[in-house]
Amino acid sequence: MKLQLEKFGTTLISRELGSEAYKAFQPTLRELSGNEELEIDFSGVFTLSPSWADEFLSPLFNQIGDRLTLLPSDNLSVQATIKILQEANKCLFKFKLDK
Amino acid sequence: MEEKLLTIAQAAEILGVSLDTLRRWDKSGKLVAIRKEGGAHRYYWEKDLEIFSSDLFKFASEWIQNNIEFPSAFYCQNSDTFRARLSKMEHLLMQKPGFEKLYSLVVLIAGEIGDNSFAHNIGKWPDTLGIFFGYDLGKRIIVLADRGLGILETLRQVRPDLPNHIEAVNVAFTEFISGRAPEKRGNGLKLVREVVIAQPIDLFYISGDAEVRMKGTDKTFRVTRGQRIVRGCLAKIDF
Repeated sequence: MKLQLEKFGTTLISRELGSEAYKAFQPTLRELSGNEELEIDFSGVFTLSPSWADEFLSPLFNQIGDRLTLLPSDNLSVQATIKILQEANKCLFKFKLDK
Repeated sequence: MEEKLLTIAQAAEILGVSLDTLRRWDKSGKLVAIRKEGGAHRYYWEKDLEIFSSDLFKFASEWIQNNIEFPSAFYCQNSDTFRARLSKMEHLLMQKPGFEKLYSLVVLIAGEIGDNSFAHNIGKWPDTLGIFFGYDLGKRIIVLADRGLGILETLRQVRPDLPNHIEAVNVAFTEFISGRAPEKRGNGLKLVREVVIAQPIDLFYISGDAEVRMKGTDKTFRVTRGQRIVRGCLAKIDF
């Protein structure tokens, strides 16, 4: 399953809205089958902040672990945010090399 | 870079005001002078004058220190207004030559600092709700401020042993800790620090009497005691 993060907005900066997005995504997440991966596509997102991502990507990672896969992004805020989330959560996200 | 100390006459010339005005501002606290040990003469740091002379900073500074009114165009009463204005700034910035990629990091920094003000003061604003958010993309400057609890009081909710503003601001920028425990740990200001160090972006940040100045090509993170004490938080981003 592929999730276009831009469906939640293009400026993803607040903790409050990150948390709302996570809750809103739960019904869709239930459609993910047993060992299916969830690919996060950042294209179309202008700015991603650690607060938003910590409320969305961190709990998703806790929920589905290695099945969470991040697609590559050349957006500097996406790259910086993923780096700090890995440090904060002491985890390594799985990346897919090609879209 | 060597910091330059100016005489009151030099400061008056730079700011375009009289000596008497500077003396009055010193007495009233609007622009506090420095006195060398035991001396009566007033001196000013050149960098303080630069900061003082940018209007956005003055508006924000006077608001959080003395509750002086500022143009309502800079006021965001709630986070929805802030996000809408931030998106508008983002749109303008991404079209600016040289910022085609860097814009997202500038928006990230402003977004984190502004969002922090709302997240940490919700239901607890001591008086005026909301934040000051002003930007001038021509001058490449963004100013954010709030009259909230400030970093020390916020973090003392989870770290009651924090002794002063300096230590609190240091913790906020360097440790994974949230003032809203048992909620998620905060990581926003840590990333702000890392991005400012790595990118051509300068940051001046105050809470209480603690100041962070990260400027120039050889930036280091250091919290010092400043001349002023501010309510809440005040940030100036140059890029």
